[in-house]
Amino acid sequence: MFRSPHRLFDVTIWPLVDVILFGSIGAFIAGNESAGAQAFGYLLGGVVLWHIIYQAQIAVSTGFLEETWSRNLLNIMITPVKEWEYVAGTALFGLVKLILGTGLVAVTALLLFSFDVTDLGLGLVPIGAILLAVGWLIALFVIGFVLRFGSGAEALAWGIMFVVMPLSGVFYPVDALPDVVRPLALVLPTTYAFDAMRTLLDGDGIDWGTIGIAAATTVGLTAAALLFLVRMLRVFRARGFITRYS
Amino acid sequence: MEYVLRARGLMKEYKRTRAVDGVDLEVMNGERVGLLGPNGAGKTTTLMMLLGAISPDEGSIEICGHRLPGGRSEAMQRVGFSAGYMPLAERLRVGEFLRMYGELYGVLDIEARIDAGLERFRIPELAEAMGTQLSSGQRTLVGIVKATLHRPSLLVLDEPTASLDPDVALRVRTGLRDLCQSEGTALLITSHNMVEIERLCERVVFLSAGSVIANGTPSAITSQFERDDLEGVFIHLAQVGAEQRERAERRTQETDHSA
Repeated sequence: MFRSPHRLFDVTIWPLVDVILFGSIGAFIAGNESAGAQAFGYLLGGVVLWHIIYQAQIAVSTGFLEETWSRNLLNIMITPVKEWEYVAGTALFGLVKLILGTGLVAVTALLLFSFDVTDLGLGLVPIGAILLAVGWLIALFVIGFVLRFGSGAEALAWGIMFVVMPLSGVFYPVDALPDVVRPLALVLPTTYAFDAMRTLLDGDGIDWGTIGIAAATTVGLTAAALLFLVRMLRVFRARGFITRYS
Repeated sequence: MEYVLRARGLMKEYKRTRAVDGVDLEVMNGERVGLLGPNGAGKTTTLMMLLGAISPDEGSIEICGHRLPGGRSEAMQRVGFSAGYMPLAERLRVGEFLRMYGELYGVLDIEARIDAGLERFRIPELAEAMGTQLSSGQRTLVGIVKATLHRPSLLVLDEPTASLDPDVALRVRTGLRDLCQSEGTALLITSHNMVEIERLCERVVFLSAGSVIANGTPSAITSQFERDDLEGVFIHLAQVGAEQRERAERRTQETDHSA
């Protein structure tokens, strides 16, 4: 088990994630008199916008994973297609899935709960753009891990999102998080993006300062993701890991 | 004559095993070269390095003047690759699959190239077939058509006729010879079928334990090793290689004990 640490996730990371997510929702509601009214918008707004990052990430990650599952990676690697062209193509193709998935969530929220996400107005545009970019850059991390660790890291394609979700305060302000994990939340661009969403829901307009921090942390994290991916691709080629897929 | 491939001093080590040990390999424009050697000789690792999928620990690779890894994209524009183990998209028709790869290579006259390729290997009826409907021989032929759509200067084939019946293997050889003659494509091919290599290749490079141990025309190599044919040379070299490996292992064990 210690040679395959990802096997420990079921008994460590996921239980922790659950308790942090639901504990923080509880802490938010219990610690705020007006939380009951706010929670409705925060939860539905959170889940609709969460699907932007989720669908963006999953489209790119699974697009790459499908190449490995069908043992097609070598076919792709020996074409003139450059690495960035492949990722960009997968991301753009994934936009179709993103529009379908997020559209379905938004329409369902409107029809069943009369929650219209477009009421948030123009502020949705920069927040959505940041969430889209973060989804893609998380996918770059996932691809890097799969290149390095092989099929054992595939679970990250889905699992990593459930780590990011509670830390980003998708459904509650990050003040509701336990003190010990709050510093992690502060380095995630998603924390600021969802904070800006709540400001919009509260009717306080577009919080450009918070959106600016989200954009800056997105740029930083993008640089880290690209460096990581390039490094992992180098390791992949140096250690001959292509033979796992041929 | 120009080089389409020039590799110098290729070295690759996995953990403590040296898979490729100082391989020099050149292929001239339009030349047909066989890369031979027993299992574990380093053939596939060498091919993967030439294709940029594995990076060498040492050495240099130049394809049509483009040096890897920096010029990988430009080099791959001039290379086609197919192997018996390469998959085809199962949920696409053969024509759709070939069109997709033609577009990836920027082929302008895709439809004409697909028709000509399928015709060359005598499988025009497969254009509408789904990937799942193909036999292993048909998959091999389609894979080679895919690898030649963009008129590569160098066609690299890893065991293309493994597990094919003699009729399909003949079709592969005939199609490849026609391709090399009509389009001037150079060929670098690995195979365990020595008869096939003798019929197809003008030059043969023998690998053993990661090193080149013979390089010449099939007749020159059979004379060099005083054997009747390449199969005899292959068996001789495989046995010599196995004895060398055993001696090396014994030496290592003795060194370990004395230490």
